[in-house]
Amino acid sequence: MHLTRPRVIPWLAAALVAVAPACRSRSGSAPTRVAIGATLPLTGAEARIGGFFKEGYQLAVDEVNQRGGLQVGGRKLPVALTLLDDTSTQATAVNLADRLINSDKVDFLLGTYASHLVQAQSAVAEQNRVPYVNGGGGATDIYRRGYKYLFGIIAPVELLGTTLMQWIDREQKAGKLPRPAKIALLWENTAHGQDFRKGVSEFVNTSGGGYTVAVDESFELGGKDFSALLGAVKAAQVDLFLVDAHLPDYITIHRQYIGAGLCHPVVSYGARGSEKGAVEALGREHVSYILSAVWWNAQLAQTIPQAKAFAEAFQARYQRAPEWFQALAYESGRVLFTAIEQAGTLDREAVRAKLAALDMPSLLPGGRLRFPADKGQQVQNSFVVQQNMPDGSSPIVFPADVATARGVAPNPNCKR
Amino acid sequence: MQRLVDMAVSAVLLAGLYATMAYGLGLIYGVLRIVNLAHAGVLMAGAYLGFVLHRRLGLDPYLSIPLVLAVTFGFGVLLYRGLVRHLPRGAAGGPQSLLLLFGVWLVLRNGAYLIFSGNDHVIRTSYSTRAVEVLGGFVSLNRVAVFVVALVPVVLQLVLSRTYAGKAVRAVAQNASSCTLVGIDVERVYAITFGVGTALAGLAGLLSATLFSFNPSFGTGELLKSFVVVVLGGLGSIVGTSLAALLLAVVEVFAILVLPAYLTSAVGFIVLVVVLVLRPGGLFGQRVLG
Amino acid sequence: MSPARRRLLPWLDARDAAGFLGGLAALAALPLVLDVYAHNLLTVAFLAIAGALAWNWIGGFAGQVSFGHAAFFGLGGFVSARLLLAGALPPPLAWLAGAVAAGAFALGAHPTLRLRGPYFSIATIGLGEATRVVFTYWDRFTGGASGLSLPVEAGEKYRLYWWALGLLALAVGASCAIRRSALGLKLLAIKSDVDAAADCGVSPALHQDVALVLSAAVVGASGGLYASYFSFIEPTDLLGFDRSISFVLMAVIGGVGTILGPALGAIVFVLVRQYLLGSYPQLYLGLYGALLIVIILFEPLGLWGLGLRAVRRLHRRRDPALAGEGRT
Repeated sequence: MHLTRPRVIPWLAAALVAVAPACRSRSGSAPTRVAIGATLPLTGAEARIGGFFKEGYQLAVDEVNQRGGLQVGGRKLPVALTLLDDTSTQATAVNLADRLINSDKVDFLLGTYASHLVQAQSAVAEQNRVPYVNGGGGATDIYRRGYKYLFGIIAPVELLGTTLMQWIDREQKAGKLPRPAKIALLWENTAHGQDFRKGVSEFVNTSGGGYTVAVDESFELGGKDFSALLGAVKAAQVDLFLVDAHLPDYITIHRQYIGAGLCHPVVSYGARGSEKGAVEALGREHVSYILSAVWWNAQLAQTIPQAKAFAEAFQARYQRAPEWFQALAYESGRVLFTAIEQAGTLDREAVRAKLAALDMPSLLPGGRLRFPADKGQQVQNSFVVQQNMPDGSSPIVFPADVATARGVAPNPNCKR
Repeated sequence: MQRLVDMAVSAVLLAGLYATMAYGLGLIYGVLRIVNLAHAGVLMAGAYLGFVLHRRLGLDPYLSIPLVLAVTFGFGVLLYRGLVRHLPRGAAGGPQSLLLLFGVWLVLRNGAYLIFSGNDHVIRTSYSTRAVEVLGGFVSLNRVAVFVVALVPVVLQLVLSRTYAGKAVRAVAQNASSCTLVGIDVERVYAITFGVGTALAGLAGLLSATLFSFNPSFGTGELLKSFVVVVLGGLGSIVGTSLAALLLAVVEVFAILVLPAYLTSAVGFIVLVVVLVLRPGGLFGQRVLG
Repeated sequence: MSPARRRLLPWLDARDAAGFLGGLAALAALPLVLDVYAHNLLTVAFLAIAGALAWNWIGGFAGQVSFGHAAFFGLGGFVSARLLLAGALPPPLAWLAGAVAAGAFALGAHPTLRLRGPYFSIATIGLGEATRVVFTYWDRFTGGASGLSLPVEAGEKYRLYWWALGLLALAVGASCAIRRSALGLKLLAIKSDVDAAADCGVSPALHQDVALVLSAAVVGASGGLYASYFSFIEPTDLLGFDRSISFVLMAVIGGVGTILGPALGAIVFVLVRQYLLGSYPQLYLGLYGALLIVIILFEPLGLWGLGLRAVRRLHRRRDPALAGEGRT
């Protein structure tokens, strides 16, 4: 009978109160530092890139603190970053954001990494009217909700597909690729993959018959065997092999691609291609001439001053060259800090207004950064297209103003 | 036509992979009636073991098979003697064993995070991208090797079942309490079986590491597929497991002819549910209803 | 022996009812002293508790351990979200629709209830995963991998606390009602020996169906509330294997088969996990796993069982006459 008594409800209530964190109130005195909160996936599915983002954030914060802090009004305030692990889980990202805002009382938020996490977490920031600057959520859906406090340093993933197609189009117009060209479009079934597909499909639809999509299939993450899918691609006899995948699937697919003796005039795995992990797994000769489009590349240091400054600072600290993850994370921090200094106050509304009106030099392709209101405050900077070369380098081949090499098409390795 | 042949070859190779992953799970359930969720953790551990041996000692994964088998066998026996032995057997122990081993899996996962971080790792050997010609199409040499290794437990089962030890295991699986009457040390059989099951999982992980990249979360998807294979094949029967793996692989590969590629990953699960509802003992196993 | 107590209903006596209402009132008034973060945390905790309790009706009372409950959660969440996006129904009715949809789906799962033990569990894994894949593919309904976003309304999230509390109260009341009623006894009979139960005229099919449908409905409603709380849902999060596992974990840690044990398990799951995350991010997986192992090995009835033992020990100390009676 003791087992079944619902009288335990008061005990439950007591237990809940006991473990619920106590109220914390902020003292009414003047602020002594700028409290920035952020979560990142440091464990879980997105842990690899989460760790890279952490490097970027830390570099941005340390840089500011090394020069004494941010100039807020008449005083210099150091920046204190509270970084928590959201374990790549949506509910955790939301709860921790809640905690950062309501319990730890941070002033502003920097975003997490991965579109679904950003999408969920930014809702909390919006509800609490806290400026949220992120470099981790590329899906356009995130920015279509009319949010005012959300700012994205990371260009839409559709542009990844579009930019790739623009390079391909240039080569086609130069006669290097057949017209019309048949495309095999394989995409991971995630928000990223959906957007990539949208970018490519829309370009194809407005290309006036230059391309047809012969294979259009999505696949589950972590697949063990893509031979059936690759068989369909082989049967369709396409010219352009365009895939959007995470690193593990890229490796699995490409291994089977090579094993099956496939080769196409143009091969791309979306944002993948130049990572060391891929070269290690596949071998340099097998990744040659693969195209990838990324948000940022260290070669931009040759043409963009902010990129050069960042790359040098990163190299000095971490003893290796940065990639787009660290660049976007760093830039998110830098942008937020700039807006705070411009506003001269920690008042959230003032900083938000400054962010919305921002137009500043940036390390992003194009050299400048602004948050267009008609695009939901997501930057629209172009991607850069890289191509792996047999000598191990991955020069930028597009857009022309930042290119360091002319791309090669069709793929010379294919004996056709 | 060639495409169909290619698909058939792929399916057979894939079956080898699925079978290898499922053996350990099936053996442990068949004899001990325990669903080993730590199977996923041991898969992951086997992959990392192979990785470390390859990275530090330059040992080719296929050569490190005996070592990985030995280490994971030892781990399995320890796990049994230390933890699993204390669980109640049979229906009452159902959720308990599930969760105990799930806890072990979490601990293994955390251990891997601490040692290796969450990054993806991959083993690359000289033959990682080498292909061989089979029936007019090219396939990865590595996958053929995995298939060959998958055949070994089947052969072993046929051989060992004739030995005293093999018969003892089968006797324990059928009726443990009576075994003590005939002088079979049941606890010892359990411990060794658990160890062998774990060793098979480690082997599967090692082989997977030669094919795919892995990180500490490796094992979840493989575990779910292994469930499908093991139940389809009738828990406890290695030959049944192999045939079920073949069935699953064939269905998954050929499904692309009628379904969008993405949905083919659901096919296995739907087949599982249908078969279970129609034949609860699996396709080749005992009749079990209640 | 306790003194005779006034019974309001066959399964409810006055003292229990008073305790229940008192606790409910306390929780309803709690937000007056809580900060917003704790308030929101409790809202999520209530949903988790309700889900765990509901899972227990089929997993604990009937002994059919389901690893596929995420399917009900996700179905409820997406149906509810779709209705809210279309402006077709006010939130409470949308959540109810989600519950109904999940319950209907549970009826569809009827054939699997013939299976027992691990076969049933594995079948539920199959169903859960198949549902997840289909939902991720079906982007017209779920938005595919991109998910669905609900508009953010000021104050709505705050008010969800009381709706979640209401769902929790419903789940607690239903747990007691089911367990102490004829239905509960029949489920127990089915769990112990399905053939004997059938021989006694207890229809396994009917009663398991009832338990599963009720369980699915409550879990579906909690999915709807979840969608409103987070304002964004996507298939992998709602329907993934991790989600299904969480129901099992909460119930077993708390005490599978007991009436309110899963509530304790859910509290541990939500609140303690948050604490571990914030303070020991690298260790939380291992600590959680170790916690599981310890609980399973030493107290199969979970936290509830531990609490029982402590209470009994207390009683024996107070009344030495009881010292010699019964087991530890």
